Amino acid sequence: MLKPLNTHICDEHIFSKIFNTLSNDVYNFLRFKYGDGLDPRDKVQEAFIKLWDNCKKISPEKAKSFLFTTANNMMLNEYKHQKVVLKHQQAKPKDYTNESPEFLLEESEYMQKYERALAKLTEAQRVAFLLNRVEGKKHKEIAEMLGISRKGVEKRIYGALEKLRKEIDGI
Amino acid sequence: MKELLIHKWLDGELNDDELKAFKELPEYASYTKLSETAKLFKDTSYNVDLEYEKLNSILKNRKETKKPIQWIRPLLQIAAIFIIGLAVYYSPLYGDTATVKTLASNSTEVALPDNSTVKLNAASSIKYHKRNWKNNREVNLVGEAYFKVEKGSQFDVVTWSGKVSVLGTQFNVKQRVNYFEVTCYEGLVSVSFKGKEIKLPAGKTVKLIDGQLFEEQTKDTVPSWAKKNISSFKSVPYAQVIHEFERQYNTKIEVKNIDTTQLFTGSFTNKDKELALKSITLPLQLKYYTKNNTNVIVLTKE
Repeated sequence: MLKPLNTHICDEHIFSKIFNTLSNDVYNFLRFKYGDGLDPRDKVQEAFIKLWDNCKKISPEKAKSFLFTTANNMMLNEYKHQKVVLKHQQAKPKDYTNESPEFLLEESEYMQKYERALAKLTEAQRVAFLLNRVEGKKHKEIAEMLGISRKGVEKRIYGALEKLRKEIDGI
Repeated sequence: MKELLIHKWLDGELNDDELKAFKELPEYASYTKLSETAKLFKDTSYNVDLEYEKLNSILKNRKETKKPIQWIRPLLQIAAIFIIGLAVYYSPLYGDTATVKTLASNSTEVALPDNSTVKLNAASSIKYHKRNWKNNREVNLVGEAYFKVEKGSQFDVVTWSGKVSVLGTQFNVKQRVNYFEVTCYEGLVSVSFKGKEIKLPAGKTVKLIDGQLFEEQTKDTVPSWAKKNISSFKSVPYAQVIHEFERQYNTKIEVKNIDTTQLFTGSFTNKDKELALKSITLPLQLKYYTKNNTNVIVLTKE
């Protein structure tokens, strides 16, 4: 992880280190929050360009929250009322072809329900839940990213999980 | 208890006993399926190295295009400072100052912003500030002028020879080389020159000739040049009379064997050159003739 350093982000080595550790997180954060409908890659780039422009004013410890906030604001400005759609990979790898057609149909229905349910989650719930389940982030890390408490993260993920269960399993 | 187990499971913090308990929950299958399905939403297409290369090329391109602008900016700032400075420095001279000039053998009347009037004799000029006239009634005078001043703040006439200050009155100021004359026709005028100040009541004249001060009376209510188009003199060096003639008729006068410091009292019209010439030559028993094909008049003793 990033250690507090008394150096400027303007140093290219430090800047590239920050990019390597954080760009993927920023990317996924934007994906989970706003969906794949519009590629968040550009916004990640723009956020880092902005970080570079302000490299003298921002300490390395602050870079993380700066990036998340900046990238988020950029997305907000452009894609205000975009419907959230997340792409998923093919449900199963090839070696499961021996499954019955009924099972496959069930699976694809399940996926569709899942997608819809994800879209129905609140932004906050979806981001926290997916960062945790998809990216395997610990609660503490997510709390840092979003600038909220650990308790808040727990609440969001748990809330998301229960809501998904309700929507998909119909309980 | 159940919620705590789930929190711990989500955070990957379950120990063996807790894991056992979690697996016995009736929702266990549902939870694991939800969790496993979520993993399908992973996007493996994001390539950090590739994105970094892209970013680097963007930043480099920008740096190259940006550099010349960084050079130009301080230059523009310096230029702007100069332009503003010049504008501030010159603006009161250009926009604000009014100048009125008369040529030789001309006279004109000028109305100042507050309806005070200035009658300018031949070959004279005044300069004053149009803006803020009310609070700064100051006229720079070269030559001779007759002022009718409306009541108001102090009115100053500044000349090389001295300064005349009034509040509201009528007076004449005549400023020549080595000659300064102020006549007050109404009210009270304060004349200051060379550190001295003289209060001049109506009907009085002060003259400063070659640094010497003379005080006189006048019965006129308006200077003769302004009213009757007559230039009149009272105990004035003859040289001043000749200069006045030159100004009024735009000619040149040469003198031969004549003492121009002698005092002259009399007048000449500003309308008739021949008559005027007679007026200034006969009393002193002088002769005059015009040089061939020139504008030069020569005065000689008989």
